[in-house]
Amino acid sequence: MIDIVVQALVNGLVSGTLLAVPAIGFTAMFAVLRFPNFAVSGIATLGAFAGYLAYGAGLQMAGSLVVAFVVAGAAGLLFDEVAHLPMVKQGALPAAIASIASGLVLENLVRLGFGNDPRGYDRPIARDIRLGDIRVSPQQLETMGLALALMLAVFAILAFTRIGKAMRASADNPDLASLKGIRPERIAMIASFAGMGLVGVGGMLLGLDSAIDPLTGTRILLSIFAAAVLGGLGSVPGAVLGAFLIGMAEELSVLAVGSQYRAAVGFVAILAMLTLRPRGLLGERAY
Amino acid sequence: MPLLEIRNLRRAFYGLDVLRGVDLAVEPGGITGLIGPNGAGKTTLFNVVSGLVPPDAGSIRFDGQDIAGWAPDAVSRRGLVRTFQVARGFPKLSVFQHLMLYGRDQPGESLWQAIVGTRAARDREAELAEQAWATARFLRLDHLIDNPATALSGGQKKLLEIGRALMAAPRLVLLDEPTAGVNPTLQNEIGERLLELPRRGITVLLIEHDMGFIARLCDPVIVMAEGQVLTEGTFDAVRADHRVREAYLGRRAA
Repeated sequence: MIDIVVQALVNGLVSGTLLAVPAIGFTAMFAVLRFPNFAVSGIATLGAFAGYLAYGAGLQMAGSLVVAFVVAGAAGLLFDEVAHLPMVKQGALPAAIASIASGLVLENLVRLGFGNDPRGYDRPIARDIRLGDIRVSPQQLETMGLALALMLAVFAILAFTRIGKAMRASADNPDLASLKGIRPERIAMIASFAGMGLVGVGGMLLGLDSAIDPLTGTRILLSIFAAAVLGGLGSVPGAVLGAFLIGMAEELSVLAVGSQYRAAVGFVAILAMLTLRPRGLLGERAY
Repeated sequence: MPLLEIRNLRRAFYGLDVLRGVDLAVEPGGITGLIGPNGAGKTTLFNVVSGLVPPDAGSIRFDGQDIAGWAPDAVSRRGLVRTFQVARGFPKLSVFQHLMLYGRDQPGESLWQAIVGTRAARDREAELAEQAWATARFLRLDHLIDNPATALSGGQKKLLEIGRALMAAPRLVLLDEPTAGVNPTLQNEIGERLLELPRRGITVLLIEHDMGFIARLCDPVIVMAEGQVLTEGTFDAVRADHRVREAYLGRRAA
């Protein structure tokens, strides 16, 4: 019994690491653009398919992730500029609703191109690594390592570079930042591109484990949103913490109540958080 | 010659004319008050002048140069600096860091200087640190200088806003409600500090709703209503003007 629980926690750790990538993107976009961008569902799917095509064309895993990042980032930027940012002047809610529509558009564009059939990445088969009764596949370790490297890069960029500092300043106080020559609209574009790039990479990483189809992103949307809310919307470390908690809670829920209730974990987490501590575990800190 | 001269300044938002041809002039060396009922366009005027919002039409001459439509940082560097009504600052920075960040010619703004750290950059940095301490002492914030800005009281945050503006070595500061929500003791304190500024060669234009504060500090007083300048004069002259009372209270009440 203990073994099963530990195995579930290990699986949760792996899926939490992967989930952290799009959750960081989602929360960073919220910090700068001030609306929840639910187009992450469609963008994650787009990223997964872009990475799938690149991988199928013979690129290595890291290279395919770059393709997923760039394609998803470009699409995210396009949709923000055309559909969401004109709405955000009217308030966060109109922009959020517009982003749901964008997600549907993207999902169906992917369906138009690839159909509904699930597709696998055709990765080489490898034997699981065993530690006692706990199993981890080398592929899980690889994707986890890539996700961790990506997160470290994001933290380093936010902490040490001018762009990162400008983003944090703009998220904290856009007016004051603009007095120092930080252009809010340029920061918004960078946040759109990089945030959605991370979401696209996240879609691919989460798709690697199983198969991908046009609903891949929609299935992880709730987990991404729950992770961000749990950690505190707008907080990057919060999103990482939230992703780990959601990842593990989802795996444990499969043991406790069965896999058909897995999706309920996100809802319960959001409900509990908004009731007990609305600003999230780490409050709102831009990084 | 006026330090700031605004001609026919216009700005609309979604078809609503907020500034409908503003004409005003601020002479150097004094404290000018800008009053008017809510919605008169005072803060919008500050936003347009400081470059946060581009104007639709009109000219803004500051020190002989038309700065209409300039970027906010360019306006600041020219010597026209503003504060904000809601003094939020950057939550993670200390008082000292806030002051340093807005120092004029801060060498940290140049990537080259920040990495190489030339002697000139180090000297400038030391000068700015000196200036930050002096500014904090002037505003009586020196005992709080290492506190995070979030730990300050509302009034102290207002003082820090003023300090931030002073660090940029301004010739004209626009203060947006420098004492709103501040207790009377600290309000007096802020008033006294502001009276010092003209003596240091800094001209002040301030928005305020507290008429006692305006009466004590400001001459002249400019009155705005419905996106235009209604009248201008000494506080007593403005107070006696029936059009001003109508603007505040409505035609019938006046």
